[in-house]
Amino acid sequence: MALLEIRNLSKNFGGLAAVSEFDLDVEEGEIRGIIGPNGAGKTTLFNVISGTYRPSGGTIIFEGRSIAGKRPSAIAARGAVRTFQRTALFEEFDTLGNVSIARHLHAKETIFGAIIGTARKMERANEKRAEEIIEFIGLGEVKHELAINLSHGHQRALNVAMALAAEPRLLMLDEPVAGMNPSETATMTDIIRSLRKDWGITVILVEHDMRTVMDVCEKITVINFGQKLAEGTPDEIVSNNDVIEAYLGSDDILGEDF
Amino acid sequence: MKNPNGAASTPAGGSALPTPSAAASNPDWRRKYGGWIAVIAILAALCVIPFYMKFYHIELSIIYFMSVILAVSYRLITTTGDWSFAHIILQGIGAYATALLAKHVGIPFIVMVPLAGLVTAAVGAIVMFPMLRTKGFAFFIASFAFGEFIRMVWMKVNNPFGGTGGIVNIPSPELFGLKLTSSVNYYFACMAFMVAAVFIMWRLDRSRIGNAWKAIHTDDMLAECMGVNVARYRTLAFVVGSFFAGIAGALLAYRMGSIDPHNFEITQMVYLVIWVVIGGASTFWGPLIGVTILTVAFEWSRPLLEWRPLMFGSLLIMFLIFLPGGLESLLPALRRPPGEHYARFRRWLTTFRPG
Amino acid sequence: MDSATLIQTLLNSVVTSSVYALVAVGLAMAFGVMKMANFAHGEFFMVGAYTVYVLYQLGGFNFWVAVALAIPIVALLGVATERIIFRQTGANILAGFMATVALGFVLQVAVGRIWGVGLMKRIDTPYMGAADIGDAHVGWQRLLVIPCAIAMLIALRYFLYNAKLGKALRACAQDPEAAALQGINIRNMTMLAMALAGASAGLAGALMAPIAAITPYMGHGVILIAFIVVVVGGMASIGGAVIAAIILGFIHTFVATLTDSLIATMVGVGFMALTLVVRPQGLLGREKS
Repeated sequence: MALLEIRNLSKNFGGLAAVSEFDLDVEEGEIRGIIGPNGAGKTTLFNVISGTYRPSGGTIIFEGRSIAGKRPSAIAARGAVRTFQRTALFEEFDTLGNVSIARHLHAKETIFGAIIGTARKMERANEKRAEEIIEFIGLGEVKHELAINLSHGHQRALNVAMALAAEPRLLMLDEPVAGMNPSETATMTDIIRSLRKDWGITVILVEHDMRTVMDVCEKITVINFGQKLAEGTPDEIVSNNDVIEAYLGSDDILGEDF
Repeated sequence: MKNPNGAASTPAGGSALPTPSAAASNPDWRRKYGGWIAVIAILAALCVIPFYMKFYHIELSIIYFMSVILAVSYRLITTTGDWSFAHIILQGIGAYATALLAKHVGIPFIVMVPLAGLVTAAVGAIVMFPMLRTKGFAFFIASFAFGEFIRMVWMKVNNPFGGTGGIVNIPSPELFGLKLTSSVNYYFACMAFMVAAVFIMWRLDRSRIGNAWKAIHTDDMLAECMGVNVARYRTLAFVVGSFFAGIAGALLAYRMGSIDPHNFEITQMVYLVIWVVIGGASTFWGPLIGVTILTVAFEWSRPLLEWRPLMFGSLLIMFLIFLPGGLESLLPALRRPPGEHYARFRRWLTTFRPG
Repeated sequence: MDSATLIQTLLNSVVTSSVYALVAVGLAMAFGVMKMANFAHGEFFMVGAYTVYVLYQLGGFNFWVAVALAIPIVALLGVATERIIFRQTGANILAGFMATVALGFVLQVAVGRIWGVGLMKRIDTPYMGAADIGDAHVGWQRLLVIPCAIAMLIALRYFLYNAKLGKALRACAQDPEAAALQGINIRNMTMLAMALAGASAGLAGALMAPIAAITPYMGHGVILIAFIVVVVGGMASIGGAVIAAIILGFIHTFVATLTDSLIATMVGVGFMALTLVVRPQGLLGREKS
């Protein structure tokens, strides 16, 4: 059974169907790419899976249990964590602070524990884990910098670090390399690969940058007008006529980044 | 008031997330213990001064202690980004609970004060449940609506709330046979509650729970996706704030001996907002600074009674326009890296989005 | 309720609705353009009433001259509020709100210091007598509010939909960024919105002066009602505000006649709380996707 099973998923806004009758299976240990022209429904799909939006219909099964319509925090607690397309950070905290907050799910603290101060030991273990994650993502040098002062590349990396801090089994990355320069992009690509290799995390990647998707994903799903257009290996996708047509029909040109 | 900021960076706040200054291990003992020494010194002074103060000033200090509890608990709610306009009403709930239960059931002072807090917390939880659907300015207006509704219930319902006349003859407080009607005795009772309340809220502010609240303020969607149950934590903040507002209400009811709906009017709420805004809501100590300075200013302005709303109104306008971070933002200006100012400024600017 | 009381209550409802609409339209407009939540709107109303008191009662001007002068005076107050407060607080709605709460304090004290706080001011009614409709008696002075309010609302609507400036204002309310790209000066538009808000509040206050109790604190009741109407109508919607004003005017008058005015206000406040929680976009508003 697949780690994530989506059947007949749809999401309507008023009369507009942003996602309709969508099926998706993501196996454990996969790095799945989801691509599509602008406004095709990629981010809506993410929002529905992660619980930001309530689905209008259909089922979402994660590890054998339904997560459709649950709160994002409940879904994150099950182990499916997302990042945002925008740079989303707790700006007034430093890098370590951001990652620490993101460890919320694994740092149970009661209100009385907080007052009496019994959480100290747990918090120390937490901090150690947070530092491990920061080192892994390569933010060790800016550990104590305020998030708002980080470079764009570092901020995007911090987003991934925060998602990792929630100890996900499924990580949903929404355009992780948007706005990055080539060397930052290369670093991020390496990180995504080792997420699976070293941490055993399944990854779904929504990305605009074709090169990255083709590079790291072994299976790609193409979405257009909220529906699945094609699915297959990168080679199959590049040679798929429907896909080429969809991209030529919109303002996006498939070959832009090739 | 400067030194407690030092205390904030000592390892004593064990569950606190490390700040840059704390993580870079600082052997300087003044930095480490200076805050605690200052706090102990202030407490010692507070213990001594009532014996040298005039009756009137002791009474004033009692009101000041209640104001501190109110301001700090109000600020605690605002850390999630929920600016409420019903905090004085919550105080009123504590006061009414005290008046009714102490009078008709005969519950003793030491039990009644925390009980008033619990009753208010319960009402806070009930009121917060529908208000969770709103945020930002809509939350503010909704809290205003709910609060006014509760106040009108007090005005309208004669049994048990006594209508516009309120409740009179609240039994005078007693603690293990010790009469608290004497000003000095009540001073110490209030001080004890104030110190306990401030300490608890300080610990919460620096804890993981406090950080979750601040995270919700910055970006509730991100916090939710990182596993913070935003609804639960917003409710928690509101309930904790309500609890302490209720305690302040109980202390008020016992002191006044009678209460009526006019004690909890919008004007009072506006003064509470003035304390918090002028002190600065972004750190724990801001409201304390604000309430301290404004209590003094309020006393000085006594000869100009009729001009008071104009003076404090103008002051609030000036602060909102020229110093939105409050007085607190002036204090540690030299100690903080400049980027943090920018971060605070940004946060203030983007705090209140339409709902 | 016998037929005389019914007719009387109906007429009173129309009068109340007219005043609500006049006051709420200004508040809704200011909120629609650049999210200015003006708590001092009630004090604008108060200043309008005081203008009539000073000019007509003390100064011996003609009643209509006094009313006509109240409009530009309060409009000017609106512009000043925009310049001094809302321009500074900008996108921070709550800061603007708090600052105008404080402005309300300032205006109350200023007016109270100049003309005294004590007893309410009495204004000789320029139009004595009452209209007899069926068995009901309604004072001419009250009925006068209705045509004035309707005229003002029609004029406002004509201005917003037909005049170039009015169209620009509406564009600005819908999408400030797009409006700015079209070459519309946002600052002028916010100023215009506050001027119109002041004008309508000033007119409402001036018309109510001979009927209402004139005190520096008369704005309190008005602002609560105005916020209820605007919230129920959908915060930024002028049309919604008018419709909500009619509905709430009737509800308030009938509940107040049948029980008392405190319960009527409670019903209004409850309505507002319910709207915010259940339908934050207002009665008529559409949900944003």
